[in-house]
Amino acid sequence: MSPDEVDVVVVGTGAGGAPVLAELAAAGLRVVALEAGPYFDPARHTPDELDAVEINWMSDRLSAGDDPIAFGPNTSGRGVGGSTLHWGAFTPRPDAGQLRLRTETGLGRDWPFDLAELAPYLRRAERDIGVSGPADYPWDPTRRYDYPPVARNAPAQRMAEGCDALGIRYATAPAAVLTRDRHDHGGTRLACIACGACHQGCRTASKATMGTTYLPAAVRSGAEIRAEAMVHTIETDAGGRVTAVVYRQGGVDVRQRCRVLVLAGGGVETPRLLLWNDLANASGHVGRNFLAHPAAQVWGTFDAQQRGHRGYPSSLITEDFVHPAKTRQADADFAGGYLLQSLGVMPLTYATSLVRGGGLWGDDLMAALDNARFTAGIGMNGECLPSEDNVLTLSGEDDEYGIPRARIAFTAGPNERALEAHATAVMTRILEAAGATSTRVLARTAHTLGTCRMSVDPADGVVDGDGRSHEIPNLWIADNSTFPSALAANPGLTQMALSLRTAARIVAAM
Amino acid sequence: MTGFTVYFLHALGGSGTSFRGVGDRLGDDIRTVTIDLPGFGDAVRVPGYTVAEMADHVLARIAQDAAPRWLIAGHSMGGKVASLVARRAIAGDDPVFGLAGVVLLAGSPPSPEPLPDDKRREMLEWVARGPLDDAAARRFVDDNTARPLPGAADAAAIADVLRTEPAAWRHWLTDGSREDLTGTVGVLDVPAVILAGTEDADLGADAQRALHGVVYPRARLVRLPDTGHFVPQERPDEVAAEITRLCAEIDASSPTVPADWARLLAAPGIEPRVRAALAARAIADDPAYAPRALTPAQLGTLRALADVVVPQGPQSQTEHHGTIDLAARVDRQLAAGGGDGWRPADLPPDVEAARLALDAVADSVARDAPAAVRALIAGELDAPDSRPDSLLDAAGLRAWFDDARVDLVRQWLAHPASLARTGNDAYATRGASALAAGDAPRGFAVLGADLRAPWEPPDLGAPVSEDTR
Repeated sequence: MSPDEVDVVVVGTGAGGAPVLAELAAAGLRVVALEAGPYFDPARHTPDELDAVEINWMSDRLSAGDDPIAFGPNTSGRGVGGSTLHWGAFTPRPDAGQLRLRTETGLGRDWPFDLAELAPYLRRAERDIGVSGPADYPWDPTRRYDYPPVARNAPAQRMAEGCDALGIRYATAPAAVLTRDRHDHGGTRLACIACGACHQGCRTASKATMGTTYLPAAVRSGAEIRAEAMVHTIETDAGGRVTAVVYRQGGVDVRQRCRVLVLAGGGVETPRLLLWNDLANASGHVGRNFLAHPAAQVWGTFDAQQRGHRGYPSSLITEDFVHPAKTRQADADFAGGYLLQSLGVMPLTYATSLVRGGGLWGDDLMAALDNARFTAGIGMNGECLPSEDNVLTLSGEDDEYGIPRARIAFTAGPNERALEAHATAVMTRILEAAGATSTRVLARTAHTLGTCRMSVDPADGVVDGDGRSHEIPNLWIADNSTFPSALAANPGLTQMALSLRTAARIVAAM
Repeated sequence: MTGFTVYFLHALGGSGTSFRGVGDRLGDDIRTVTIDLPGFGDAVRVPGYTVAEMADHVLARIAQDAAPRWLIAGHSMGGKVASLVARRAIAGDDPVFGLAGVVLLAGSPPSPEPLPDDKRREMLEWVARGPLDDAAARRFVDDNTARPLPGAADAAAIADVLRTEPAAWRHWLTDGSREDLTGTVGVLDVPAVILAGTEDADLGADAQRALHGVVYPRARLVRLPDTGHFVPQERPDEVAAEITRLCAEIDASSPTVPADWARLLAAPGIEPRVRAALAARAIADDPAYAPRALTPAQLGTLRALADVVVPQGPQSQTEHHGTIDLAARVDRQLAAGGGDGWRPADLPPDVEAARLALDAVADSVARDAPAAVRALIAGELDAPDSRPDSLLDAAGLRAWFDDARVDLVRQWLAHPASLARTGNDAYATRGASALAAGDAPRGFAVLGADLRAPWEPPDLGAPVSEDTR
């Protein structure tokens, strides 16, 4: 190994890259992470939503299709810690049946392995980052959480009342939010103060981010993290193996040689980088099958002030609709399922949804804003099937690094629409049962998945079940782009488990 | 017009009595508070003569007063203190909120004050052997006035000079006036008026543009003929009239943050950078705002659209106040390159899209803005035939307008008065940054409907002790 070569370069420090970095460093490998964004001191985060976009990927993505995706603060982080800087830390585990979606429904794709394979890694990830949750989890009697559950805020209380009236089971949500102080990695993460500003960056490190968990662990094991380092070029040798990456930092291009490259830039940046470098795409699958969770919200208006910006925003969950067959939802005419979470929200985020998802303007908009304090919400996170039409390509317009901007086309298919209609009706019923005097549906999607999917058949995806490129043996992908199906569960925890597993495979292959 | 407080800071050798005439001439709707600076007037025994220490003294008084909306007015030496107070009032670290504007009366600048060496020597000589004597006081007042002051004002001015702490006098001449605070004070893009006499020397009307023009880009400079350096005593009518005018202008171009909410913003328990952001947004928009990304005509069209999309008044709960110039704020955001992370694939980049779209809809908006908004949202408003070069068709205009509506409403709701109106105190928490300041982090311990923590504004529900939840 030449002196300027490292064992592994990891591109991206979010839920995909950070666990890989920590595991490889702990295994004694010489590893470097390259992060496009800057480092943030958690104590310096701000709950102000205009300023908090500093932790988001704000360079334009171009959105097409009938349901153009709103990127930016809703989906994409930028900084050491990636999207875990702004994630909601809502950490349900995936459902076993949803990893066998094609086997069970004939639609979508199966994952290359079953949940039993992933389960130990899920538990590891929960321990590593600190997850709070209820003592009894209604949908999994064996489930145990390491921290007591978060306090339920007003929207959670309303959703619980509605679920009680309708016979829907619910629980305080599992959340990667500490309810007791935790001392590790040489620092203290404080118990949650219920400020409600998870999505703007946690200022007490109560919410797990990669910057307060896996990344300090990686650094203590000898890993190096280079911030504000945007990778634009992947170099290969005559045999097609990756030899180095080139990144721009402070306006200067730097080459970093490596034996192994792990891409962990997420569902947009990873395929963009591969397409730009024309790599690992013999199957033609790079950028295809972009998945976004249907994530519609229903908001109910109550007589009392709910002020749902207080407290952990999504502190109640029901998984009764995650696997409709199991819970005998006779009217569920769709593949896959969805989970529901109670919703509190920060003001500008809500206003944005009222305009973009609710189509409000003028006096109706102002009345809705004046009434916002009386509202409580419920949101869904549901399966999304892969579609030929939903594809990420390179546009003709360069970004500030000279890389073509990503163009993402997305149109919700009939399955997503059916699932969303079902969820919307259920959410409306729950809110009405809780005493809402009126309800309003706000359309949304969430997460960026599926653009470099795992497959057993090299012709049907980009990486194998371990996350390794079908074509380039020293290229691996550890991020949401490898998801063959979207799952109903929010992807953060699943991603960390996947990354721990991929890291073990990389170590074995070195 | 209601709710204005003006804090007056006097000149070297002065005190709050310098503003007696001005205070008498201000109406009941403008409350006046004078603050004697360390070493002067009633604060003659208070130590700390640097400009920063004087600002500390003033900010402590303002924090204690907790007025919801205030101007800082400084005469001569007090002007330099006023500029530093204004900067600190929007920097967020001090527990104050509500700065609305600045009034300078022959103000000393943030940069070293120009004072000829012989004059400085002479003034230092006056305190070489103790407090100023009668002759020096007489000389000082006469030197600084174009004509003799009326009897009561003259007697008060002389008495103030005589009771001045010599060390404070000396420190201003040797150090305070020479401090260079230009970097700290920076540019204060706030409503401001500068009054100065034509018969004044180094801080007179002719010098003020050079001394303060860069610091206060929005300042109106009022030249007072036949006036020396003692502007408040010599020209109380004009000073009062200008302050009243400035308050009226501010009132017309900004909504009021209710007192309970201004107190919440001033008190500990929120992040300094949040306080800074909200303090800056509370500053009234410049009625003469010159757009940076758009043309004036495009800005006008956006203003007309903003009035329809985000109608700001009259408000139900409070009396009607001024409105926020949302279009100007969106223009600033566009000029700063602040997008939202994505755009419809068929649209050009944000600034270009805004220019094209606003040109395309200008005629329709001018004719009937509400009708134009309805057509835009329905995707039925096309670029006119007269602009066949437009890249935007009806679908493109509709996509652009989705973005524009979001930008406008976000700018409205980000204003502290809007957050107060909608009952949202989500910003009023503090994380680990509190620990460094010796405080505890603050979140929301009370989560139930119709309940609030004791520190939250009263209109948010019934108070519950945070210990019992």
